Amino acid sequence: MLSLRIATRFLRTSPGQSILIVAGIAVGIAVQIFVGTLITSLQASLLDTTIGNASHVTLQNVDDKKAIVYTPAIQRVLASDPRVKLIVPDRVLSVIFSKGTDSAPINVVGAEPSDINAIYKMRQHLVAGRLVNAADEVILGKSFAKKYQLKTGDPVLVVLPGGEQQKLTLVGIFDVGTSAVNDRIGFTTPDFPRRALGMAANDYSDIQTQLTDPFQSQAVIRSWKGLEVFKGVQFKDWQVENAQLLVGLQGQSSSSYMIQVFVLVAVALGIASTLAISAVQKTRQIGILKAMGLTDRRAGLVFLWEAALLGGCGTALGLVFGVGLLQLFQLGPLTFPIVLDPAFVGGSCAIGVVVALLSAIIPSRGTSRLDPIEVIQGGG
Amino acid sequence: MADDLLVHAEGLSKVYGDVVPTPALTDVSFSLGCHEFASVIGRSGSGKSTLLNLIGLLDTPTSGRLVLNNRDTAGLDRDGRAKLRNTFVGFVFQFHHLLPEFSVIENVYMPSLIRGDPQSTQLVDRARETLETLALGDVADKNANEISGGQKQRVAVARALMNRPQLVLADEPTGNLDTENTDLVYELFRKVNREWGTGFLIVTHDRAIAQQTDRILELSDGRLLQDVANPGVEREAPAPGKR
Ligand SMILES: Nc1ncnc2c1ncn2[C@@H]1O[C@H](COP(=O)(O)OP(=O)(O)O)[C@@H](O)[C@H]1O
Ligand SMILES: [Mg+2]
Repeated sequence: MLSLRIATRFLRTSPGQSILIVAGIAVGIAVQIFVGTLITSLQASLLDTTIGNASHVTLQNVDDKKAIVYTPAIQRVLASDPRVKLIVPDRVLSVIFSKGTDSAPINVVGAEPSDINAIYKMRQHLVAGRLVNAADEVILGKSFAKKYQLKTGDPVLVVLPGGEQQKLTLVGIFDVGTSAVNDRIGFTTPDFPRRALGMAANDYSDIQTQLTDPFQSQAVIRSWKGLEVFKGVQFKDWQVENAQLLVGLQGQSSSSYMIQVFVLVAVALGIASTLAISAVQKTRQIGILKAMGLTDRRAGLVFLWEAALLGGCGTALGLVFGVGLLQLFQLGPLTFPIVLDPAFVGGSCAIGVVVALLSAIIPSRGTSRLDPIEVIQGGG
Repeated sequence: MADDLLVHAEGLSKVYGDVVPTPALTDVSFSLGCHEFASVIGRSGSGKSTLLNLIGLLDTPTSGRLVLNNRDTAGLDRDGRAKLRNTFVGFVFQFHHLLPEFSVIENVYMPSLIRGDPQSTQLVDRARETLETLALGDVADKNANEISGGQKQRVAVARALMNRPQLVLADEPTGNLDTENTDLVYELFRKVNREWGTGFLIVTHDRAIAQQTDRILELSDGRLLQDVANPGVEREAPAPGKR
């Protein structure tokens, strides 16, 4: 531990230099944690808004106009696949809403209320009333209800594609945050569109699925495609539908990685150069210590310890800065939740210490190779 | 007989430089017994420091044999040499070479920490005792660069003595000191030699100082010109060098 003691003393006796390196590492690690977490959180939030309440893999009849038959065999395959988190067979129907002289199109989605709740977290998003439970009940978006001055209990008159009129009852009003849904979608039980479209009991417009890992969609589709039960079925992949978004996210990730790498390289160079200067400044002392019998290994350890101490302090400080800055941002201008990933934060800290140690290798090598005679002959 | 030798040099030579070889020491042979109090004199550039650095294992000879404490040093690796530097010899240089980051007493017990002694009250006591022997008790807790030049050099002597080495090598230890401090240092050397039986090999270019030692080795152009028991000192003459 003599090496550690000497390292500590060297650091304490040049406080300016030590503080400078610690600050450098702290800024680097703080930026790393801040940028990394911000981008990851932003992407998670973007992804969540895009696919959080959307289908990841959608099953449809290869003929778009025909219904898909949700056979017991298909049910078994989907239900037994561990990658599938949620299965929502639904029936979709376009109707015209009319009230007095006003009229507006509504896309009616008929699915089991529990499924609708699962995919849209509908119960949480209800601003009035309840979920549907009978075939003639409907729930509508807040903006739609406001526009046509509808409240729960009111009748909702709709014209079916065939021209026939039907009266539904508004039992709930929701706000899911997406205007595409709030403005023109109504949710009913599966029975209403089935009757209106004259579908058989197993017929659905499509079967929506959500996966535990949305990015598995391609693999999932690949494994299903060849199966006999899916004959006549086509699969829609959210990643294909949202290719543009994904390219954008990927670009964002790459630039985030680039920033992080450059910051780390800058930090490494900073530590390396300051340690190198420090090693040169302490050459005389190391030479004297060696003349008194300090071994090469322990002399080299002095600078590794310096790096470890500086790296440790700098990283700890950077962690506090980085997380603090994120908290501050969360209180302030950010519209999306910041999620600290312990693995990422831990990894960043480990990288901080490792980078510090790596940048000590060169000065440490020089120190361990130093011949005391060089210093002793050089004089005072 | 051989058991009593601290140093045994045979044909020791050192040539510096590959491109323009400069012989600094040529074919030097002598032995130094236990408890001897000897000096090395010679003009500047005659190879005195080179000889001392070789014996102190700070440098390696180009040729020749060097036996320290009955061990041939040719077989030692860098760690082995470091260990011997730490335990067998105490070095005092022309420059004090104290560590400015440490206090006086820390500087003094540093060689013991390097040896592996734990930081303990015994260690501190021994360092304090050594400092007191050198009349430095009151500066023990000062920083190493807060004391005078004469004090610094005496602290360096205390440090050299801390591990109670069998041999002290001193290279013009008073070269930067006034006469008062110079006399003090040599009195101390004598005292340590008498009381602890420590062997001394002291480099000086001052013949007056050499006259106070028991044996004078004179170097000229890297060769051992003379090796004489000093008749000026009333003391049992040491065994003359081998050969
Ligand atoms: N590192 C070195 N490289 C080249 N020549 C050296 C080196 N060290 C000493 N010398 C030469 O070796 C000779 C002896 O030097 P030194 O032992 O220092 O003499 P002294 O201590 O007696 O003054 C001198 O000529 C000196 O220039
Ligand atoms: Mg010299």
